[in-house]
Amino acid sequence: MLEAVLRRLGAALITLILATGVVFLVIRAVPGDAIGEMLGQSAGDPAAEAALRTFFGLDRPIWSQYLAWAGDLLRGDLGISMRQGMPVAGIVFDAFLVTLEIGLATLAFAILLGVPLGLAAGARPGGIADMAVEGFTLIGLSAPVFWTGMVLLILADAWLGWAPPLVYTPPDISLSDNLEGILLPVLALGLLQAAAYAQFTRQQSAALLRQDFVRAAAARGLPWRVVFGRHVLRNIAIPLVTYAGLILVQILGGVVVVETLFGIPGLGRTLLAAVQGRDYPVLQGALLLSVVVALLVNLLIDLAYALIDPRVRGA
Amino acid sequence: MRPRLMLLIGCALCAAFLVISLAPGLFAGPPDAVAVARRLEAPSAQFWFGTDESGRDVYARVIHGAGTTLGIVGAAIAIAGLAGGGLGALAGFAGRLPDLALSRMADALLAFPPIILGVVLASTLGSGAVNSVLALSIIYVPVFYRVARAAALMESGRAYVEAARTLGHGEAAVLLRHVLRNVAPVVALQGVILFPLALQIQAALGFLGLGVPPPTPDWGASLQESRNYLTVAPWLATFPGLALLLAALAASLLGRALQARSG
Repeated sequence: MLEAVLRRLGAALITLILATGVVFLVIRAVPGDAIGEMLGQSAGDPAAEAALRTFFGLDRPIWSQYLAWAGDLLRGDLGISMRQGMPVAGIVFDAFLVTLEIGLATLAFAILLGVPLGLAAGARPGGIADMAVEGFTLIGLSAPVFWTGMVLLILADAWLGWAPPLVYTPPDISLSDNLEGILLPVLALGLLQAAAYAQFTRQQSAALLRQDFVRAAAARGLPWRVVFGRHVLRNIAIPLVTYAGLILVQILGGVVVVETLFGIPGLGRTLLAAVQGRDYPVLQGALLLSVVVALLVNLLIDLAYALIDPRVRGA
Repeated sequence: MRPRLMLLIGCALCAAFLVISLAPGLFAGPPDAVAVARRLEAPSAQFWFGTDESGRDVYARVIHGAGTTLGIVGAAIAIAGLAGGGLGALAGFAGRLPDLALSRMADALLAFPPIILGVVLASTLGSGAVNSVLALSIIYVPVFYRVARAAALMESGRAYVEAARTLGHGEAAVLLRHVLRNVAPVVALQGVILFPLALQIQAALGFLGLGVPPPTPDWGASLQESRNYLTVAPWLATFPGLALLLAALAASLLGRALQARSG
């Protein structure tokens, strides 16, 4: 068990190193950087440009820049933003907390809506509920998430005469303003992920219904609710819990467009701003964080499987 | 829904989108005709989907946008399928070092959330249709790679591969003539399954201003332009979004039906 965990950790670490290497290469492969824009009025002054390049280490070869960055990283230092002049760690972490709030709220919504729908559909495959839920998942998964957000904005205006603020208020300043700001983004992301959850739940329960032990229970004459409750629900719980991790990773990735639409200063918008302003340190930090979170969640899923399900532990 | 019905509806919708993409002129007038006096008009008998902020026909822009949007996604899926599928088949068949090296690289790319990778690649490469295709294909090469590698690994252990070797066929011939032929359908099916996902990313990039530059009609870019008129002219956002939804739905139906058929 311990050996498997260590091997899994090692693989994740190698992936991380390669991934950060990819980032380093890709973002430096383009002409133009933040230096030119930082200089502003003094553009064309070679001395000032050289001084800035040396300060940010841009005059060194890429591998040397990478090693310096990785060395600082190990000490918990992600560098200084070229645009904002503040430590990247703080910028990225603050943005991540905003995104995490939205991510967790979305996950809660997706589970509360998606799991009951999936169970209702899975309990009687081919029934009316099943067909209705299939329609919901097909449309929910096909609609672009930012478009769902736009439609919600249109409907909020048309039906309620309500124009959401499109600014983000931190929950410690005003909880009600905070909730007002994240309501529609969470709803837009949540409808998509609820569709994903419903589909997954339905697939899992349909697969279980075909299993011999479930069919045997039904054949012994047990009432349907006992068959479904005792044999299906109990076995479905494990994949449903671990699916939450997968969905959370998807939400944290998909949030970038929704954050832009609703004016939320989360990780996605920070990343977009950094990419457009060629703010390498912030971009690297934000990408690193999103990759680390994804790898970490995937690792936790595997571990959770091993802990909850005795059948996996032996393997 | 029964797989047969799904296949039928999926095929019909896909065929309709294909015809519209290839010959938009049959269904609508020019996408760039400007009637300044008639800007932001609601849908009517003359302008089915209304007009936009410069007085252009939204219906014509949606129809002509199909070729841009679906063309970019289709080209990206095809390129990623060929590159990723080929590399995956090679890795699964050859094993050892090529497999290890390629798989690690695929893992590194797969570690990024696709949309984030798309944003970074698209803004690095710059806007334009060709660069959009490139960015999208890079995102999906590792996904195709994984699928093709698994399929090739499975096929390589089959008796017919051993039989071909026993008959004296070289490794290259076994790979190209036997293994690849059985991996190809799996990769093709994966392409249909990935199409709606790639479409979402293409639309998102267009919405973020990282896709094709204006005035080229593109569904995601149209949604970006509609942002300032959401409540004044809701039809601007409604129709390009519906087109995206319908196209994704068509591919999903086809993918699900084919998946159900192949088990």
